[in-house]
Amino acid sequence: MAHAGGTLASGPSLLVATHVERCATCRAAMRGFEDVGAQLMLDGSGLGLAPDALSATLARIEAPLAPAVAPVVTRRPPLPGTLDWPRSMRHCEISRWRLLGPGMRWSRVRLPYDRSANVFLLRIAAGSCLPPHTHGGEELTQVLFGAFDDGRAVFGPGDFDATDSTIRHQPVVQASSECICLASVDGRLVHDSRVARWLGALIGI
Amino acid sequence: MNSDTIDGFDAPAPGQEECRAPQLRLVARNRGPMTTTIEEFDTLLVAVALEQDRAAFGRLFDHFAPRLKGWLVRTGSTPELADDLVQDAFVMLWRKAAQFNPARSHVAAWLFTIARNLRVDRHRGVFETWTSLDNIDANIVPDSAPGFDARLAAAQSGAGVRSALTQLSSDQRTLVQLAFYEDKSHSDIARETGLPLGTVKTRLRAAATRLRQLLEEYRS
Repeated sequence: MAHAGGTLASGPSLLVATHVERCATCRAAMRGFEDVGAQLMLDGSGLGLAPDALSATLARIEAPLAPAVAPVVTRRPPLPGTLDWPRSMRHCEISRWRLLGPGMRWSRVRLPYDRSANVFLLRIAAGSCLPPHTHGGEELTQVLFGAFDDGRAVFGPGDFDATDSTIRHQPVVQASSECICLASVDGRLVHDSRVARWLGALIGI
Repeated sequence: MNSDTIDGFDAPAPGQEECRAPQLRLVARNRGPMTTTIEEFDTLLVAVALEQDRAAFGRLFDHFAPRLKGWLVRTGSTPELADDLVQDAFVMLWRKAAQFNPARSHVAAWLFTIARNLRVDRHRGVFETWTSLDNIDANIVPDSAPGFDARLAAAQSGAGVRSALTQLSSDQRTLVQLAFYEDKSHSDIARETGLPLGTVKTRLRAAATRLRQLLEEYRS
């Protein structure tokens, strides 16, 4: 709902956008929440504009379009099979895969418009498991590829999970294929060292 | 505006449209001079798309621009930024009018999402970081002309949202608005409403769940 209102922090917002791309049910819910936003807009009292606001807007419509700025093409590591990066991630800088432990790699995802957003990818080999862990703050996870089972449920491609400090779990990747997840961890002013610490804690270093 | 309705049932002069004229005037009188329905606003936007109709654009601007500005200022923009964003949003509305699909949306919701995206982009300092739901749907489901059923469903969904909002208690409605659409922190809300922080969190979760259920009921 906060995503629909445009008030969600950029890390979680990216996660929700990535999920909504894959999930028709949540797209419908998003539309509902946008309708709610529109209704709240209509219900509130209006504010007057400058008398020339309409003519100024019409003048801008007449003006020729500024040349489109070519999108910055960022380097991205390859994904398995025919899998494409989600459209919502087109602005993200995605680092190469870095080794995190046996059968575990991770990649830093940077949002050019918010350096403090704490978003990363985890890529875990088929049949591997993460050690049991909990989370400092809210963590959102979107499965891009493969599936894992953490004892609560099986999460497959396109599935979304929200966990926080009340949940302690041990995700086990299913034997049929490796698993790639996009994750966002709560906190706006988080440094790399904290990510390293968090990931370190995750793999039990 | 309605001065001509008084003689609406007089015998028409020779050469005038004999059947249609009185009927049209009656409809106009029943509806009152200033009411325009959601569907009529949608039609105006379609006219902008198909005919670059400036008069239709002007009517949309006159109706929605002050409401949009009010919402932007209520939700944290300065009046100067709001003025800018209103113009940006209407320029965008003009340019993207051809993408408007009245089967999927209505003008108010469409304008709301345009303005929301522009504000978020302005805040982020980049252009078009949002992926529009219409683009996603269009890529998955082949697009087709809006059929009558779809159009009806869209109109009902607008009515559904209004009805869903009225079914929330006024407390719940205020909480939802403050938290999700005005980006107030839970502690700010606690201060503004005088409720304990824990109560704000519990009630907010209940309100969000209830609203989602209500919206789903209307959609099914």
